[in-house]
Amino acid sequence: MAIQRILLAYNFSSLDQKAIEFVTSAFGHLEGVELTVFHAFTPLPAIETDASLVTGKLKGSLNFLSQQIMQRENDLKAVTENLARYGFAAERIHTVFIPRKKDIATEIINLARDTKFDAIVLNRKAARVTRFFSGSVSHKVIMTLKDTTVCTVC
Amino acid sequence: MSAEEKIDIDLFKLVFRAMAQSDNLEIMANHLTQLLVAALEIKGCTIFALDPDLDELEVLASFGMSTDYLQKGPLLSEKSIADMFRGKPIVIPDANHTDRLQYPQNAKNEGIGAIVSVPIKFSGKVIGALRLYHSKVWDISDRDVDSLLVLAENIGLAMTYTRVLKALKTIRYTVNDIHSIWLLEQE
Repeated sequence: MAIQRILLAYNFSSLDQKAIEFVTSAFGHLEGVELTVFHAFTPLPAIETDASLVTGKLKGSLNFLSQQIMQRENDLKAVTENLARYGFAAERIHTVFIPRKKDIATEIINLARDTKFDAIVLNRKAARVTRFFSGSVSHKVIMTLKDTTVCTVC
Repeated sequence: MSAEEKIDIDLFKLVFRAMAQSDNLEIMANHLTQLLVAALEIKGCTIFALDPDLDELEVLASFGMSTDYLQKGPLLSEKSIADMFRGKPIVIPDANHTDRLQYPQNAKNEGIGAIVSVPIKFSGKVIGALRLYHSKVWDISDRDVDSLLVLAENIGLAMTYTRVLKALKTIRYTVNDIHSIWLLEQE
């Protein structure tokens, strides 16, 4: 079956550019391919801002942090411009920026199941120790999904 | 900035409640960095895990720092890193006037005025670091450094706990996959 829907998991790391180059060279020339650039951000922790003095002081700071998170959403939208520069038609690129409720692998798996992507492009950083503590995203995605092509850039 | 104490019991309550809300280490660590940046009104915060084979720090969670800066590698000099491996806190109150930075220009470009780094330990061994970055000169009080050490010890516990939890889940899934026929059990 021809690949029509691609999910690119974007994590604001040095490997993102490599993943973009791979996606554009492998799929950019194909007719009718739709690309979704995905990032799951960690939402701010839920705290009672009126509960105490320190949390009251936090209110202003948390608003500032919210703005920084929103800036990330704009940064993700800017990725579509980067992809367009590499020849991907802008109207075929979509972005999904959602708060993460679980681990990143589960967020990718849930989105892939809901939207039925034909291919998923991940990037895998060479971070042995953080993988030991947090788990491998690519391993979980590959072991869980069926009928999906998973490409890993490393 | 004077050495005023910024870390009090209210902040501890806030941070530990946030830690207790999640069983996912990445979310927990990200919440911690966000809360510390907001509560201490600093530029950024990063939690590192230590690769004991390579003696390198890997970013586990970060808030407020640019991707370029985080990928520059260790920004502390050999002298500072040696202190960190000995489990000592590193305080650089003025990043523009110190010889303890490996890449001072990167720190300047990032707008870093001060760095405080405390070791994350588990069972007496260094397994990571909690690093705070201020945009201005930061005369952090000794008591706040002590408080950060306590916080870092709890991060060490959380890192270890979530890793053990992950291992237990893996064992459970593996056991669930075992068919009774492979154990020669009677149907």
